[in-house]
Amino acid sequence: MAGRLIGRVPARAALARTLLLLPLCVVYGVLLVWPLGLLVRSSLDGGFAAYAEVVRNPLFRPAMMSTLVISVVTTAIAVVLGYVCAAAIWRAPPVLRPLAVAFVLLPFWTAVLVKNFAWAALLQDHGVFTAALRALGVPGHPVLLHNRFAVIVGMVHYVLPYAVLPIFAAMVSLDARLEQAAASLGASQAAAVRLVIVPLTLPGVYAAALLVFIICTGFFITPVILGGPRDMMAANLVDFYARQLVDFRAASALAVMIIAGVSLLVSVYQWLPKEGQFGRL
Amino acid sequence: MTEDQMDVALQAIRGRVSRREFLRRAALLSMSAPAALALLERPRAAEAAGKVVNLAGYGGVSNDAIRKAWADPFEQKTGIKVNLGANASLALAKLQAQSGNPQWDIVGLDGSELPTAVKQGLLERIDTSKVDMSKVPGYLKTPYGFKYSVYLFTKAYDQRKIPDSSAPQNWKDFWDTGRYPMKRSIYQNVADGSILEAALMADGVPVSNVYPLDVERALKSLDRLGKANVIWHSANQQPIQQLTSGEVALATAFSGRVIVARRDGAHLQYTLDQDVASGSYFPVVKGSPNKEAAFAFLNFVATNDVAAATYMSILTYATGNASAVRLLPQEVADQLPTSPKLKGKILFKDDAWWADNLEKTVIRFKEWQAA
Repeated sequence: MAGRLIGRVPARAALARTLLLLPLCVVYGVLLVWPLGLLVRSSLDGGFAAYAEVVRNPLFRPAMMSTLVISVVTTAIAVVLGYVCAAAIWRAPPVLRPLAVAFVLLPFWTAVLVKNFAWAALLQDHGVFTAALRALGVPGHPVLLHNRFAVIVGMVHYVLPYAVLPIFAAMVSLDARLEQAAASLGASQAAAVRLVIVPLTLPGVYAAALLVFIICTGFFITPVILGGPRDMMAANLVDFYARQLVDFRAASALAVMIIAGVSLLVSVYQWLPKEGQFGRL
Repeated sequence: MTEDQMDVALQAIRGRVSRREFLRRAALLSMSAPAALALLERPRAAEAAGKVVNLAGYGGVSNDAIRKAWADPFEQKTGIKVNLGANASLALAKLQAQSGNPQWDIVGLDGSELPTAVKQGLLERIDTSKVDMSKVPGYLKTPYGFKYSVYLFTKAYDQRKIPDSSAPQNWKDFWDTGRYPMKRSIYQNVADGSILEAALMADGVPVSNVYPLDVERALKSLDRLGKANVIWHSANQQPIQQLTSGEVALATAFSGRVIVARRDGAHLQYTLDQDVASGSYFPVVKGSPNKEAAFAFLNFVATNDVAAATYMSILTYATGNASAVRLLPQEVADQLPTSPKLKGKILFKDDAWWADNLEKTVIRFKEWQAA
């Protein structure tokens, strides 16, 4: 696209530009394409037998279903919370803004194990939350840990910054005069949000949703720590093949399938409208 | 997750580590990243000058006992250094053997894993001119090694909540939710642990008829116990933590872990009837560059009576060197899984059955768990 905007470039300059991309290609080639190739090769050892084996495994469907359900629910919650959070940061007084951003970035830089074990401590039987529920008069023994609820809580906590940052980026790039224009045309605050701000920040929302969803599909440690046996996700099934069944071929086949699925999603994303305030890009 | 990571996390949850200490340790551990990466860990720089054996065990009290009983005296006697690591598994053995240049010379494998490793050609045959296995009884040895440890999968309980007089004496008692209306913590690795065997005995199958395992009947028996009454654990020290913290009052555990916890003052106990004995090997990984040193270490484990007796008295686990039993006090000897006094009372895990049925049984159990 950029080339079209700038216009024709002399062949030598084009060559020089391509050469500049070389280091990047080497990095991607060595760290991404080559290992991916090894993975595909190991999965195809003996034709498509490993793929058939993976699909026939009775654990395949439940693991894929729970990956899908957990990822969709987590993405939905994270995007809604992320939108509210991003809007709050956007509209915060300049003094408070760095503080608000710090509250997003601090958990972002905290290791996932620390966050997960913190939730395990909070949600356990006889923990803070169950005690609070009892104090509020909730009957019975609410079980908060080792179930899907706990997995989603832990995952939303992890992915929230990934939702906030793209949405926030879309918001700060909005021209402040657009709102004034809406108001001058008689739009109430709510109508301005609905008709101007939300549609114009949608590309940020799409980007956030896709990013969060992709991260969700690869979760491994959170279902182990916070979930129960029913919350096995795709990555856990890969681990099960690799470590319990020691079937590296099937583990590779499953991993290739997951990567293919996610790549499909990314290409669908390319078709989504990217209309921003400056019109179609 | 490695056992060490689990330990730190569990201690923190139980409030035994200060918050700052937890964060410090957790930060350190999180850098070492999850289980998959742990497989790629390398032993501390293989000493170029002196000879060395790199041994991957199970970590925790299990490694402590190996260090004290065998590794330290062996180092003193021969000058060959023994590096101990955790995360031993069939997957590690396979990765090491396939790499062609193994970083770990010995990778601990349990009885159900060894036959698979042999079948896949991951192990070195023991050179019997270098390893003297004459003290090891036949049922504990194979051409690829001998069981250095034989342990019991047992019923452990919290004495503060369940007095010895009403302790579960067998698996039927363990299953009795009327008598013990609380959650049980159960080991979810069915091949390493023995919950399917236990489920059959709880259903009335006598010790002598447990094999061949009727997996479906075992799962029905577990259904009767009820998933709502079970907390699944995946690391061996977990049930001990859960029992001492009061999270559960009843758990499956390996007997040595209970014994070490008792020595440290925990009010835990276990009962022997219908316990399941199984064991682990020290197999040498194919292509190991320190094969000779590894065989020398195995020879020490198989022949040195004082070291073997030390190992047995730390954990009350039996070891391949059966002649060392005479060095033990009678009450310890009587509690060893190999004691003639326990014959018929306990079950010996059938490694051959597991080797033949490992994959489909593990998948079926996982499927049942997820249903």
